[in-house]
Amino acid sequence: MTWTCEQTELYLTDYLDGLLQPELKQALDLHVNSCERCAPLVSSVTHAITSLRALPEVETPPRFVYNILDATLGPRETVTGWAAVRAWVRGLASPRFAYGSVSVAATFLMLVTVSGFNWKKPRVADLAPANIYRNTSRQMHLAYARSTKYVSDLRVVYEIQSRLRQDNELPTNTEGTAPDSNRQKDPGRTDGTAPATPRQQNRANDINSHLQVLAEELPMLSGKLCVVLTEGRTR
Amino acid sequence: MRRHSRRIFNICYRFTGNRTESEDLSQDVFLRVYRTLGSYRSAHGGFATWMTSVTRNLLIDHYRRTKRDRITDSLDDTMPAVENKQSSARRPDEQALLGELSSQVQSALTRLSPELREAVILRDLQQLEYSEIQIVLSVPEGTVKSRINRGRIELARILQQMGVRPS
Repeated sequence: MTWTCEQTELYLTDYLDGLLQPELKQALDLHVNSCERCAPLVSSVTHAITSLRALPEVETPPRFVYNILDATLGPRETVTGWAAVRAWVRGLASPRFAYGSVSVAATFLMLVTVSGFNWKKPRVADLAPANIYRNTSRQMHLAYARSTKYVSDLRVVYEIQSRLRQDNELPTNTEGTAPDSNRQKDPGRTDGTAPATPRQQNRANDINSHLQVLAEELPMLSGKLCVVLTEGRTR
Repeated sequence: MRRHSRRIFNICYRFTGNRTESEDLSQDVFLRVYRTLGSYRSAHGGFATWMTSVTRNLLIDHYRRTKRDRITDSLDDTMPAVENKQSSARRPDEQALLGELSSQVQSALTRLSPELREAVILRDLQQLEYSEIQIVLSVPEGTVKSRINRGRIELARILQQMGVRPS
């Protein structure tokens, strides 16, 4: 295929944009490689496109968008005096502002309370950063100590409960295997049930006394312990 | 709003080469868009394409209005010394904004004919597709390709005249 310089100019954009058909591209490449006029043309146009695409985006002037808004929607109304105050107060009454204020106030109250601030006897010194830090640290340590104590108390209670349960199951396992002949040898027994052994009775008494002490020491668990105590007594 | 305003301002600046004129023209574009929003039909291309069409029409109107002023400018432009003087007469912030090459390319761009300039700006600066340029310029795709082709060759020739050559 014979290729002319005019054809190079004609197909240059398609060639540079990669839209030229393969056979035409091959012919153009062959011509450009051997033509002293077209080789610099392709090179300079490629350079021009690269330079164009490297142009930086121009920053818009300051207040450009506001000027456009003023031009399209008209200048914003400026109110002065009491009208401005009324407009400001009206803005405060908006639900969004109210929600925001309430959430900020709640957060502030929570933080101040956590920092150990005494609301009954407020002191300015309690709001000093050093005091806030110290009180917060103290509150955190107290909370940690309370929580660890609570967990250990729960462990003791559950341990006692499990032992009670084991003791309740004990007569059926050990005393139940005793021969019936013993019953008749026990004078004065009229209810027909097997009496607890002294060892069993002592253990039950110990547990009941432990539960009473725990109930006095741990008021928060007293309800649960009372239930256990009454259950223990009825048995 | 910010994205469109930035894009429109850049088209105007690349077409006119003047910040003040570009700012005024961009405002006019948004004013016209605001007033003629009812005439926008999505079937005739996207909103951005429609805004570009409005911008292009205003730029051509502005070009025709200021043609007489530019005749003396174009006579001055033929003299390299005057070109340098114009270049150095730019505001300092513009000089800082544009590098030397960018300044030369911008200068070469404003020396293209408006038909070729708008085609090159839309294709190589705004990266529009041929179909979009066809809608914006309201000409057949063959004409779009031809204008882009001639615009690129002419721009390369002007850059060579200005001493900007590929390294």
